[in-house]
Amino acid sequence: MRYPFGQQRQRWTPYLLLLPGMFFYVMVALGPSIATSFYSFTDARGISGAPVNWVGLDNYDEFLFQGQAAKDNLDHLKRTLYFCVAVSTVQFSLGLLVALLLTQGLPGTRFFRTLFFMPVILGVVIQGLIWTLFLYPLGGPVSEVLERLGMYSELLGGQDAFWWVIVVQIWSNMGITMMIFIAGLQSIPTEVTEAAQIDGANRWQNFAHVTWPMLTPSVNTNLLLNIIGSLQAWQLFLVLIGYRNGTQVLGYVIYAVGFGQTSGSVTTVFRQGYAAAASMVMFALVLVIGLSTQYILRRREERLLG
Amino acid sequence: MNNIMKNHANTLGAGLLQRVRISPWHLASYAILLALTVVYLGPLLIMVNTSFMTTREFMRDATSIPDELQFENFSEAWHKANFSQYMMNSLIYAGSATVIYVITAVFLSFPIARRYVRGWNTLFTLFVIALFLPPALIPQFQLILNLGLYNTRIGYILLLVTNPIGIIILVNSMKSIPRELDEAAAIDGCSYFRFVLTIIFPLARPAIATVVVLHAIGIWNELILATIYLTNQDYYPITRGMIVFQGVYGFNWPVLAAGIMIMALPMVILFLFLQRYIISGLTGGAVKG
Repeated sequence: MRYPFGQQRQRWTPYLLLLPGMFFYVMVALGPSIATSFYSFTDARGISGAPVNWVGLDNYDEFLFQGQAAKDNLDHLKRTLYFCVAVSTVQFSLGLLVALLLTQGLPGTRFFRTLFFMPVILGVVIQGLIWTLFLYPLGGPVSEVLERLGMYSELLGGQDAFWWVIVVQIWSNMGITMMIFIAGLQSIPTEVTEAAQIDGANRWQNFAHVTWPMLTPSVNTNLLLNIIGSLQAWQLFLVLIGYRNGTQVLGYVIYAVGFGQTSGSVTTVFRQGYAAAASMVMFALVLVIGLSTQYILRRREERLLG
Repeated sequence: MNNIMKNHANTLGAGLLQRVRISPWHLASYAILLALTVVYLGPLLIMVNTSFMTTREFMRDATSIPDELQFENFSEAWHKANFSQYMMNSLIYAGSATVIYVITAVFLSFPIARRYVRGWNTLFTLFVIALFLPPALIPQFQLILNLGLYNTRIGYILLLVTNPIGIIILVNSMKSIPRELDEAAAIDGCSYFRFVLTIIFPLARPAIATVVVLHAIGIWNELILATIYLTNQDYYPITRGMIVFQGVYGFNWPVLAAGIMIMALPMVILFLFLQRYIISGLTGGAVKG
């Protein structure tokens, strides 16, 4: 596009003024992100001045193939996928359902919308602590209800903890999914659904043949955000249960191995090269799953439009 | 006037009754919404309730209603947890990083939205792909360590002055500012810098407000970087301070709950006032695909 603010030297002003923002982004986010691949081939430790040696594929070899740790890592990977599938499907469906319920013009809509969105802005620390209290094992509300129903769960104390983290993760982030769906639903012209209604479509037909196809952009956004977000999520594990065997997901492993972690039953040391290799495994996972999701969504979109 | 209002109220009331009476669908809707309300409100109410209990009451029955409201829990949490210091730190971090970020972000987004720089497309893509990239934690740590910024406020702030989502929001919103303004301003002899500062900043205010709020909330809630980079307790933001407090007061839930309330309250109030901006930021662009 033509630049109206003068030529020659003045032509450089936008470049100059763009630099600081670009510099920060490249220096602290994009650059380090890309440099992760480099560090994954080294034995970097988190110690100032310590030499960083090239070790080739050793870190990957160790992470994926060597001994008990590799078997554990495979478990971590599997658990990360379980977490992703459980969180994405429930969060997506629940978000869609709630968005549909809250776009009918029912009295109280604003209240519900605000309430369901509230956890999003509270952040992991408050989300985690609130649920630590809610899941308090000695006569806390959830344990009380379970007891009355004749059920038992170790809550955050045992292996059940993993499933409770899933619950809290969904509770915390469903609001985003809901809001994106609400925005999508509100952008569908009412004439379209009304026309279908006049033509004799019932609620289900109206949803399946009119609303759902027209909701495609928000469906795509939400699926992608939910899937990638849940693959990378781990912070609620930190606040709710700490680094504990049998519950770790990949993101937490990267953090714990890279920066040492002594809480809970496992102690790790600063092994940043190895953690970088684990980061690259995470990257591969996100890329493969993210891109294939996007491919499928594209195909679906073309089918719907064509 | 009175009559009109009465009539209005009547039709409203009738409408409400009619709706409720004729639609089992709406009843079912409310049933689902109320069930979810229990799940969403429950944890929040339990926290509020606990924060007013005595420790003894909590130990005896964690779900009972306190006999009288224990406001001392709040002052105890405030003093023992060193909250004023932590909150001050969080304010400093959120304030300074957000200001730096927003100013640099506008000067970064505007020429991309206007295609005033070569490679605008590539530049924009660099921000879009951020979601997919590998975690930056390890090289970031090496960087901060080698810059000598480990365990300093500057180092921590430096890590918080960037946010790709904000750039995407700004670029998308700036596309709708008419180009004729640029030309008119240029003809009047306005420089690029002054134009962005005095015309674009005010015109892009809704998007900027959204980005400011999202960024500031993100920093207020940030825990991981604070855990990695700050070892001096004087530098802790509220999140890290809260985790430390939990470590010490983990079994005194009433005081801990009061602490959580103190930490959550600013966010809740901010949210209730700025809901519009927060939501438009999270959903804007998403719908366009």
